[in-house]
Amino acid sequence: MGPALLGLVLLLHSCSLPWGIRRQPSPPGGLGLGSESRQDPALSGDGRLLASLVLRSGRSTVLLQDRRSGQTMPLPLLRGQQPHSSPSLSWNGRYLALLVWRGGRSQVVINDRATNRLLPLPLRGDREARRLSLAPDGRHLAVELVEGGQSRVEVFNLGEWLEPDPVPGSLLQGPGPGSRP
Amino acid sequence: MSRPSQRNPRVLAPAPAIGLALCLLLGGCLDNAARPLMGLNLQLAHTAVNRDPALSSDWLALIGGREGREQVRLVRLSQGAPVPLPGLNRPDARPVRVAVDQWGERLALIRELEGRSELVLYRRSLQSLQLIPIEPAGVPHRLGFSADGRVLAVEVGRGGLSQVDLLELP
Repeated sequence: MGPALLGLVLLLHSCSLPWGIRRQPSPPGGLGLGSESRQDPALSGDGRLLASLVLRSGRSTVLLQDRRSGQTMPLPLLRGQQPHSSPSLSWNGRYLALLVWRGGRSQVVINDRATNRLLPLPLRGDREARRLSLAPDGRHLAVELVEGGQSRVEVFNLGEWLEPDPVPGSLLQGPGPGSRP
Repeated sequence: MSRPSQRNPRVLAPAPAIGLALCLLLGGCLDNAARPLMGLNLQLAHTAVNRDPALSSDWLALIGGREGREQVRLVRLSQGAPVPLPGLNRPDARPVRVAVDQWGERLALIRELEGRSELVLYRRSLQSLQLIPIEPAGVPHRLGFSADGRVLAVEVGRGGLSQVDLLELP
């Protein structure tokens, strides 16, 4: 009776949010509902992958997982460059943009998981990157930069640098703002 | 026959400038072809503070304004112009983080209001704002959207631990 009752409680709980919002149950691998802290989540454009930050040996490390199964994907090129911060994923998760620690400072890099390359984005001057966001199609990257104590956002066109991460055409060419397909 | 150290310095003077120009040229062509969107970046620079960008296809959501009077802004990249967000910003609320879907239709926002943090979903075409309850109770800190705005990942602080809640939206 115990497991059945627990299942019923969880089902009722998941249905209890208003407007049909559903809370995804934690997969077997766990997504932070255990004892390990998880921070700064980012979803791939298709919603299949989840990147988040965990502490490994006291240093913030990005973890890439299948959202439903919890299965973890390896990111060997990012080892030894912690702390990581501000992960952001393209549509299929081919590109993972994030901040890593290199040469005594924070640096923007894009991990191309299809070609197994790590692409650095050099920044002009003494500006320090604090947050970033990669567009799902991989065409643009927005970076929050700190210069002289002031934060500003700059957007970069990556179209000549990265192959697009295929987005279903019907979605990119969706109806105008304010309407849904 | 002259040794290299005895060459006429006038002949060598332009070398550094030519070298720098060559490096810039090669750097621009070979190293990294990421190009700043100059027009948009200049426009964004007019605002005192801009932070926490969120990109999705043609849309950039960010938090900007003067310190203490920040607002959520939504810019369409292809037009380089902000769009109005009626009913989203209010003077007594401080926006913390924002995310946007690929149509610029849904914005998820964490904001501080009356001393507490809350998660809300804004639908631009409806100009509607819905509070998304955090259950079990916790403090939302950061968030991420899928491109279609149907899945929301939220970092929630609970009892000294940060967790990620995954919500599927209708």
